[in-house]
Amino acid sequence: MDYRFILRFIPAILEGVQVTVALAVLTIAICTIWGLLVALAGDSRSLLLRSAARAYTQLIRNTPLLIQIYFIYFGLAMAGYGLSGFNSGLLALCVHNGAYFGEIYRGGLQSINVKQYEAGRALGMRSWTLYKNVILPQMYPRILPSLTNQAVISIKDTSLVAAISVTDIMKITQLWVEASAAAYEVFSVVMVVYLVLTSIAIVVGRFVERSIKFVE
Amino acid sequence: MTMDPLTYPVLTSFPYLLKGAGMTLLMAATAIVPSTILGFALAFLHIFGGSAIRTVILVYLFVVRGVPLLVLIFFMYYVLPYAGIDLTPFWGVVLVLTVYFSAFMSEVFRAGIESLPKAQWDAGKGLGMRRGLMLRTIILPQALLLSIPPYINICVGLVKGTSLASIVGLWELTQASREVLERTLAPVQILLGAAALYFIMCYTLARLGQYVERVNLRSR
Repeated sequence: MDYRFILRFIPAILEGVQVTVALAVLTIAICTIWGLLVALAGDSRSLLLRSAARAYTQLIRNTPLLIQIYFIYFGLAMAGYGLSGFNSGLLALCVHNGAYFGEIYRGGLQSINVKQYEAGRALGMRSWTLYKNVILPQMYPRILPSLTNQAVISIKDTSLVAAISVTDIMKITQLWVEASAAAYEVFSVVMVVYLVLTSIAIVVGRFVERSIKFVE
Repeated sequence: MTMDPLTYPVLTSFPYLLKGAGMTLLMAATAIVPSTILGFALAFLHIFGGSAIRTVILVYLFVVRGVPLLVLIFFMYYVLPYAGIDLTPFWGVVLVLTVYFSAFMSEVFRAGIESLPKAQWDAGKGLGMRRGLMLRTIILPQALLLSIPPYINICVGLVKGTSLASIVGLWELTQASREVLERTLAPVQILLGAAALYFIMCYTLARLGQYVERVNLRSR
């Protein structure tokens, strides 16, 4: 192990960490909302919305993220709406993880007793009030462990944007390994960095779980 | 022969993509066998091993599940040759897929075994059964049936995970579609063709999982 090399490598990897964290935080934030919309559309009374949501979920879950990233990156460029690598990556990550978040929300919504819906309706609540005050507050504590798990997967998924040359942790790793041949040093640092990032997500998830349980 | 320029690249390169899908399938099938065996062994040791073994397994699970698959693939590609381990790209990727997905499989098997009520064990003990016999006749048949749907989900993940092999230059469906894409400059059609092939493989597997899940629900 060459410790001086590691000291030189750390500032470089931190730039990648910024990109990775930005992608991960945006993906998780957007998917938290987008996934709920997908789940609600999947349970909608409109046949069109319902089929669209289900087709979206099946298509996304049964094809690799890498193909989706290429599709958005090269496809949009070909259609004349080229996005930067970062934006294409972000879009692909949101489209991809949104389907998984949607499935978690769907399970959560189904786990709520039908009587809760009926009671809300009987009290004359509109859908918005019903969901905001009755359904969602009961659902979130149940699905938080799964959401945390999916957030960890989202963080790991960001590494694939390296394939379209976004300089995230993964790309910088590749550049440094190829330029320096100090493979052990680079990979020791990178593994620790990813483990720290995913562990932070788990700890934050546990923290939110505990504070939400308090409300219930 | 004239052909619609939109469908032309897909039609002419489809046999090539199909060959890539064959390679993807071969790689996935080769990796699923050792992943399942290792996943099962890890679950078993996790439950029945001593505290030292359990600690080692927990560390393994923490590291493997907390790091992206792509990092492990790069690790295999760049670091293993330095350590004197020289694998062909195919076996290298199979090794990495095994290490990565066995961790997720072991959690599924462990959850399956631990989800059985304690009464099942007590009943076996009450009949004077030894632990081995109990496992074979009572615990595992039920636990495995329960584990199959989530296990198949992980297998779907493994099939999709093979696409990352293309990043280190291994030729399979994703790599094949990138080659054609760069030659024909028709990304939308080619990638849709590749996605369709992945979809057929993964959706078939996923439906199998749903079928077993329905059987499980009925037998309860």
